Amino acid sequence: MSDLLSSMQSSVSGMTAQSMRLRVSSENIANSDTPGYHGKIVRFAQVAAGDGTSRVVSGPPELSNASLERIYAPGHPLADAEGYYDGSNVNLMVEIADAREAQRSYEANLKMFDQARAMSSSLLDLLRR
Amino acid sequence: MIENNSLLSMAASASRHAAVRQTVIAQNIANADTPGFVAQDVVSFSQVVSGGTDGFDIRHTRAGHLAGSEGIEGRLLIDSSAQGATTPDGNSVSIEDQMVRAADARRQHDLALTLYRKSLDLIRIGLGRG
Repeated sequence: MSDLLSSMQSSVSGMTAQSMRLRVSSENIANSDTPGYHGKIVRFAQVAAGDGTSRVVSGPPELSNASLERIYAPGHPLADAEGYYDGSNVNLMVEIADAREAQRSYEANLKMFDQARAMSSSLLDLLRR
Repeated sequence: MIENNSLLSMAASASRHAAVRQTVIAQNIANADTPGFVAQDVVSFSQVVSGGTDGFDIRHTRAGHLAGSEGIEGRLLIDSSAQGATTPDGNSVSIEDQMVRAADARRQHDLALTLYRKSLDLIRIGLGRG
């Protein structure tokens, strides 16, 4: 029974990490047109729980160091002498793919949670007779 | 009748094995995007059960499983990296492969519980309460 509980906790840690990733991804997409915005990246790491099993945590968001996009717009208030200003360094295609992958991994974790719950409830059914 | 409870303890051990396996698979899926994580699985139940004198001598699926909960013993874990699933960041978890393993763990658990229930039914019949 305690195995199934730690199984559920592992799945929950996975879901938390994936939703953090989705949050950061949507922040990046929301700011993809903000001048000078640096995209954020979440790094995942494995941590040991007290009972000998492991969980996953998402580290603090780090800033992407890709170069900012130079946009030509002479009429823009931020434009320099040559008529360019710095846009964001967010690549929309990468962000959408990242969000998709986060969703897929979240669903896999949810399915494992559901299965652990079904297994423990069928175990409890034995006591009900 | 009652001394034939090795069947019961084997069923209990099998369900415990399935639960440990479920935990390991859940860890794999939780770490499906962690750089450098290697997918793991538990050795099969037939390797956990040794051939004792009556054929069903139970070895423990994990060291502390009767005393309390400690970690899963390292010797029971094997590398279960799927062929070609290792990504450039060193992660070798394939979610599809883990889903197959999870379905198998579920099946093993259902089998063990059915075995347990049927053995109890058998004892009840023996006691005249069937």
